[in-house]
Amino acid sequence: MEDKRSPQWSSENTDVNQDELILQQQRRIEREISESIALVGEKESLISLELEYAKDEVYLAKTKVLGQKYSYIRRTRPDGNCFFRAFSYAYLERLIDNKEEYEKFRELALKSKDNLVALGFPQFTVEDFHDTFMEVIDKVGGDSEASRLELHKLFNEQGYSDYVVVYLRLITSGQLQREADFYQHFIEGDRTISEFCHQEVEPMYKESDHIHIIAMSTALGTGVRVRYMDRGAGTEVTAHDFPEGALPTVHLLYRPGHYDILYP
Amino acid sequence: MSFEGKYNAKSPAVKRLMREAQELHEATEEYCAYPLEDNLFEWHFTVHGPPSTDFEGGIYHGRILLPPEYPMKPPNIILLTPNGRFEINKKICLSISGHHPETWQPSWSIRTALLALIAFMPTPGNGTIGSLDYSTEERQQLAKRSLKWQCDSCGKIAELLSKDAAKKPITEEEQHMLDTIALKAEEVSSTENSFASNTENITENGLRQRGVQVLAANNQTQEQLEVIVNPQVETMSSSNDLFWTILIASLLSGIILLVLRRLFLV
Repeated sequence: MEDKRSPQWSSENTDVNQDELILQQQRRIEREISESIALVGEKESLISLELEYAKDEVYLAKTKVLGQKYSYIRRTRPDGNCFFRAFSYAYLERLIDNKEEYEKFRELALKSKDNLVALGFPQFTVEDFHDTFMEVIDKVGGDSEASRLELHKLFNEQGYSDYVVVYLRLITSGQLQREADFYQHFIEGDRTISEFCHQEVEPMYKESDHIHIIAMSTALGTGVRVRYMDRGAGTEVTAHDFPEGALPTVHLLYRPGHYDILYP
Repeated sequence: MSFEGKYNAKSPAVKRLMREAQELHEATEEYCAYPLEDNLFEWHFTVHGPPSTDFEGGIYHGRILLPPEYPMKPPNIILLTPNGRFEINKKICLSISGHHPETWQPSWSIRTALLALIAFMPTPGNGTIGSLDYSTEERQQLAKRSLKWQCDSCGKIAELLSKDAAKKPITEEEQHMLDTIALKAEEVSSTENSFASNTENITENGLRQRGVQVLAANNQTQEQLEVIVNPQVETMSSSNDLFWTILIASLLSGIILLVLRRLFLV
């Protein structure tokens, strides 16, 4: 009784059915991706990006421009969590060499749980995510070389890696709801901030937009520079700093739908 | 619990499930749930039929299957006790509803899933896959019978719930979840299996044959599928039952009045 036809042939179905088919296809794609791409990859020379675009003039030209400012790239799995995963990896990696900032961040992370509970998030589960988040922070607080290895290991263990992503999503959602008056202006349609958070921020695998990046970087008191690379005219790879004017601590490369980490 | 040696206690999912087992350890009058002795990723639960509904007085038992990705992916619920609202032996999951594209949140838990199940029982099935629309009488009869129902591994389910432990209050966050969530069956290819076991069960109960036809029709029209209506789920805490009943009754009569007027006055 199972319908074996492929999704694109079922256009006569209702919208809801389309949703279900899209979900099924999505699951298939997710599986393929997770089998072939690491959650967070090794640091590669930017030349690998040039090779990838050897036959694509537009992207090749932009990659060369990018190469004037950056030397390395670290790829992340494109599963909708890539912004949060890429950011948290790159930021913790930076903190390994910067003990003062590390302590400051640890302090902020410790306090963040009470803020979330005060905002009405369920204490029981927030605590669970927070504990693991702190565990990851503590595990990368020692000697530099060992911490680097530990960070890479933890971020490639689905459990730890996803817990970090969940907790950052909660922090982002918390920030959006705390400053709802401000962020409301950026929401399209007639959704409230809390609806937006429930639909676009808190669930896993939901992609991040400017508003996510602004809220998260504001909440963590740090800056992110995103380099945008697309098919647009020119050879520039536009930089956007979040929040505006902040000193960037993490550099990310954005190609439509995906974020990777960049290093000078 | 004796899971320590068996699972990697450092894995966040295992830690999380142990915590949840701890949290749900004591039965309330509303629900209870615990992992199976040998499998932390399969739980059994028992819930009380919500008061002032067709399921009042009934006690329903079932399984909760946790995916390996839990809590990133939602748990699946399978009811085992015949109830007249959900097919038995069929996975139902907390899912997106057609009207509000709400998805599972990792910060929800097994308790959330059980609350959603209880809140969702009195809502109309509307032909959704995995749903049954039995009449009030039939559901009440099933509710009575449910007290005698036994689970192979848990025994008499009527004795599993607490008689006096007050229920934990529903938080604001949970209320929001209950307002927006929908439960529906997962479209699995094992439809035929559960179909078969259902047929057996219904005839066994000598209740009626019509349900079977409904089911068969359901399977055939899988393509047209369900429109999941998302009723504002009334979570009936006993204090405001009456209020809601009256409100719904008056709203309904209002609608009927309007329809009648439209029919006869034109």
